[in-house]
Amino acid sequence: MERLYHLITMTISPTKPRQLPKIDPVTAQVLAGALNGIALEMGHKLARMSYSSIIRESEDFGAAILDADCQQLAECAYSTPLQLGPIPGYMRGVLKAMEEDGEEFYPGDVILHNHAYYGASHGPDIGIGIPIFRGEELIGYSFTTAHHLDIGSSSPGSCGIVDAVDAFAEGLQFKAVKIYEKGVKNRQVWRMLRQNIRSAQVVVGDIEAQVAACRVGEQRFLELVDQYGLDTVLAASEVLMNYSERMIRQAVEKLPDGTYSAEGFIDGFLDDPDPSKKDLKIAVTVTIVGSDMTIDLTGTAPQVDDRPINMPFVGTVDIAIFVTLRSVLLDTALMEYVPQNSGLARPIHIVAPKGCLANPIYPAPVIARCCPGNIVADTLMKALAQVAPQNVSGGIGNIKVVSYSGAVDEDYWVYMDITEGSYGGRYGKDGMDGVDTLYANTRNNPIEDIEAHLPLRVTRYELIEDASGAGKWRGGLGSIRDIQFLAPGQMSLEGEGNKYAPWGIFGGEDGTPGGVQILNPDEDEVQILPSKFPCRKTKPGDTLRTISPCGGGYGNPLKRSPALVVEDVLDEFLTVESARQDYSVVIDPVTLDVDQAATASLRQ
Amino acid sequence: MKLIGVDIGGTFTDLILADVAQQQTWIHKVPTTVDDPSIAMIEGIETLCQMAQADYGDIEHVLHGTTIATNTLLTHDGARTGMVTTKGYRDIVHIGRHQRPQHYSIMQDIPWQARPLVKRRDRKVVSERLDPKGETLTPLNEAEAKTAILELKEAGVESIAICFLNSYFDARHEERVANLAQELYPEAFITTSASIFPQFREFERFTTACINAFVGPKVKRYINNLSQSLKKQSVRGELHIMRSNGGVATADVAGEQPVTLLLSGLAAGVLGGAAAGTQSNRDRLITFDMGGTSTDIGIVTERGFAEATARDTWIAGYPVMVPMIDVHTIGAGGGSIAYVDTGGAFRVGPRSAGAEPGPVCYDKGGTEVTVTDANVVLNRLDPEYFLGGEMTIYPEQAFAAVQALADRMGLDLHETAAGILTIVNNNMANAIRSRTIQKGQDPRKFALVAQGGAGPLHAAEVALSLGIPEVIVPRYPGITSAMGLLTTDLKHDLIQNEFTLSTEPNLSKLNADLQSLEEQVKAQLRADGFSETDMTLQRFADCRYVGQGYELRAQVPGGILDETVLQSVWQQFHDLHTAEYGHAFPENPVELVTLRVTGTGPMPKLSDFPAPAKGDLQDAWLKTAVTYFRVNGQLEKYSTQFFDRDRLPIGAHIEGPAVIFQKDSTILLPPHSRTTVEPNGNLVIRVTDDSPIDKALEMATAQSPA
Repeated sequence: MERLYHLITMTISPTKPRQLPKIDPVTAQVLAGALNGIALEMGHKLARMSYSSIIRESEDFGAAILDADCQQLAECAYSTPLQLGPIPGYMRGVLKAMEEDGEEFYPGDVILHNHAYYGASHGPDIGIGIPIFRGEELIGYSFTTAHHLDIGSSSPGSCGIVDAVDAFAEGLQFKAVKIYEKGVKNRQVWRMLRQNIRSAQVVVGDIEAQVAACRVGEQRFLELVDQYGLDTVLAASEVLMNYSERMIRQAVEKLPDGTYSAEGFIDGFLDDPDPSKKDLKIAVTVTIVGSDMTIDLTGTAPQVDDRPINMPFVGTVDIAIFVTLRSVLLDTALMEYVPQNSGLARPIHIVAPKGCLANPIYPAPVIARCCPGNIVADTLMKALAQVAPQNVSGGIGNIKVVSYSGAVDEDYWVYMDITEGSYGGRYGKDGMDGVDTLYANTRNNPIEDIEAHLPLRVTRYELIEDASGAGKWRGGLGSIRDIQFLAPGQMSLEGEGNKYAPWGIFGGEDGTPGGVQILNPDEDEVQILPSKFPCRKTKPGDTLRTISPCGGGYGNPLKRSPALVVEDVLDEFLTVESARQDYSVVIDPVTLDVDQAATASLRQ
Repeated sequence: MKLIGVDIGGTFTDLILADVAQQQTWIHKVPTTVDDPSIAMIEGIETLCQMAQADYGDIEHVLHGTTIATNTLLTHDGARTGMVTTKGYRDIVHIGRHQRPQHYSIMQDIPWQARPLVKRRDRKVVSERLDPKGETLTPLNEAEAKTAILELKEAGVESIAICFLNSYFDARHEERVANLAQELYPEAFITTSASIFPQFREFERFTTACINAFVGPKVKRYINNLSQSLKKQSVRGELHIMRSNGGVATADVAGEQPVTLLLSGLAAGVLGGAAAGTQSNRDRLITFDMGGTSTDIGIVTERGFAEATARDTWIAGYPVMVPMIDVHTIGAGGGSIAYVDTGGAFRVGPRSAGAEPGPVCYDKGGTEVTVTDANVVLNRLDPEYFLGGEMTIYPEQAFAAVQALADRMGLDLHETAAGILTIVNNNMANAIRSRTIQKGQDPRKFALVAQGGAGPLHAAEVALSLGIPEVIVPRYPGITSAMGLLTTDLKHDLIQNEFTLSTEPNLSKLNADLQSLEEQVKAQLRADGFSETDMTLQRFADCRYVGQGYELRAQVPGGILDETVLQSVWQQFHDLHTAEYGHAFPENPVELVTLRVTGTGPMPKLSDFPAPAKGDLQDAWLKTAVTYFRVNGQLEKYSTQFFDRDRLPIGAHIEGPAVIFQKDSTILLPPHSRTTVEPNGNLVIRVTDDSPIDKALEMATAQSPA
């Protein structure tokens, strides 16, 4: 079987090794702060200048500074990990593409790149990069990524393109295209962008904001290098990467050597007659040897050739793994902040057979890879539960991403809505309710913003009652979100978790699966849909209801304190009936007091 | 006319009395009486009045900065609070923006889920719904509303927040339910979301209302108690409370809107720094208030103090959407702990030894090295003179603890101590960068105002690392918040969301709304006792490019808005965008999101401090001793002059290296810096001779030790 070690295949020939000075710990800290500040400023400016709510409200973007070897020196601490993590891979992909095409960098170049088989996370996540030159010398890259509303796919919006049959159907593909060359704007590329993208005013505005943010990063990095000298900056960066590497190695080393496996499933296309498109296995095997860890996805279902739920190995699968490992092993709530940089990846080795869902072969489509990637992360957490039981949660409730659009002035309005999931129960505490999960961490868009600017109305948004996985610490609750069209339009959706409920752990019960429904004003019947549907026309009044899965329980529900069960009943997270059935806690339906004796006998 | 400012902190109550006519000022400090802060306040006022030979009846105003609202929120010790909200949206304050506060954490707590301001059982829903234009989608079901209120009353909630969707545009349903609540449960503390700040974004607005409701009863009782204590003592003046927006409010208004007091004390600190700058004729200032556990940074320009972006201001982990001074707080102070973590990194803070157990050199049980200990090792804090000799420090303890840390890192004792200061100074410099450079301001064009017990000890080196040319040390750096209270005006902010586009502006509506806002502001100021001629009104437009999510604030000139005036507003916005982001899109349409009117009624002001004693510099000289400074990358010994600030005469000139002691702070002049004592009592330190040096490691140009 052919295996691929991404860090090897994607590594470009490193710049010639420098003799770096030895640096004292004080200077290392000083430069850590400075690099961090640069990335933060890039992100701050990108979020504030951008137009689409997916960037400015949902924060689905990333910003980072890389050295000349594409090692990430610092990332913007807000925005989402799924955009931040892939940046080094984007830049390696850019360099690979340029080498293949015989292209070279010049001062003043700006690169546009979104090719999912060259490091990009998926097509809508456009990367903009600037090579940083100091005089003649290329010393690093200033890079931003952002999710764009549209990239000219077969149907409006950049999510829910679940019927794309190959990479071409997903929209425009850019492989290291210069949108500025030697400081001169490549007007023809920009014209082409405007001509081939829906809602181009918004999308092009967002790309311009990315360019401006990259320029800030370039300028600040040059200022830093002028101030301290390149060797000192690089030496400090090496110290920081070594530090992050050391921290993760220490954490891995504490875990017993061995092999730990877990399996998860994705819905795929539940309404498709073809069995190879649904109920797809994700297999994760973690092997720990000393301070090294190998994550092997062998056993994962084969790729789906003509549906876009395949996951780019670089940019999605690797990020799902890195983010989960770091969240479990270096949890920022439990320990000091470890700088997020390329050092963290050094002890981690990822293996996925070519041709499986987690390492597809071009031109298999990948645009709807987000939710399957979350199951890779979730399944990895399940494997880690065997060695780090106090640092994991029960299974997470996956998210959904919806594109809403309609006509305006011979163009489109396009809106993208991300619906949250939930976390499973945790050691000592219940799961988080109604949050984005694992490698994604976006924000919802305020209802009042949506209603003031779009022909949409959010007609319901609240938690689901009585549905979380029972456990000593129960799973988190998902949400119900109803969005109604006020004008004709269309929508498409990609999600996961309609069939496979989040797993319970250590005796906890499974959570509940999610759902997708259409409430049509002309029909009494609620239309039940699977977790994905391609673009469909809508009439005014049509309402899409998304229901998130609720997280799995942690530990035996009979061990849950009756007092906590009553609290949940008082808050209507749980009914009196479920308290009895799931927790064997007997509560008087009128006084809501625990019947201690009945509870004790039931719990025997 | 006499004024009193009272800043009540957790440990000390600072008081200041200003006699405006006589141009004199008196200060006093007493320990805070935590159980009933009015006791210390009245005691302090009594002492001050004796010092100034004033009668209570002469005191025309008492201005107060308080941390009561903030502490109530931080300790989560507010009222049991109920909420009445739109049916179908019960969990807006629970789901929030569905983002986890920390990216890389499974075990984190989400503040609004782990510590809800209103538990779900107390969130009642009623049928009602308006659209964003105020059209009724579902009429208010009054029967449901009454039931909800009565259920909350029955449950024993003390406070009710009424939060309906789209109320920022039309608050009639919220107001109706507030009236019902007044009728059915008049004892309850009632808040509506639109009355606090009618800005769109429901999670942030609802949470702000819930905070108001949560802290409301306690704060209101506190304010009433203070007012009554003052009345009982026959203090003539009315009590005014400092708000987060940098203005003061009457006790009544403050008691109704306690969420506007969350930054009361911090805002006063920025204003106090600004006042010191004004005394020295500087109008571009970075206020730098460094205490035991944290440092607060504010920015003041010729346009006034910087204001926070309401939509991303967080306090105690919750969003707070009201106008606030932009005060950036970081965990760096004299008590910040220096340590080597498990990965071998050398860190300072944000963990702090606080006042208890405090730095190792206090010998009160602290075992971990702090910033103060590092200052002791470098001999910048002297046991004889530290805080007027009232606080005993034990240098040998600090030496031993820093030596142990040095041994772990393989550095020498003084290198380690200097490293601690470099790291903490750099953390603070980065915080200043985030408030200046990242917002398009060049810190080299500002003066740094050194405040707090530790500010003057660190300011010069922080200034050097940022290329800030000068540091202003107010006469009493430790009580600048109390000073700030006496420099402010009474202030009201009102806003109206517009969502008007530059391509099709609705001039008649804009003019009508401006007029209405102005009339409301004037009515509030009249109620506060101001005549029309005394009021100042300012008008602003928060604008963004259509589609953007963040607004920038342009000024709107007085008078009727017409096409020309509006053009100037759009142009201002483009210029602001360039200044803030380095880029503008002049061809893109602009959206005027919010109109805002700020009304101020003037309050009498603090005058200069009594001029420092005349005499000879030699009289202020204490001793000469060896201290350590890093110069050209090398840590060197310097023979350093020590002075007593209280005896520094006007016009005295001091060259660094020098250390100047006073009761509430210690001032450090590194080598190559110098200062002259100004007639107004301030010290202005020039930290560098020539072109600014922006180097964190090279603290000054080479100079052989004296």
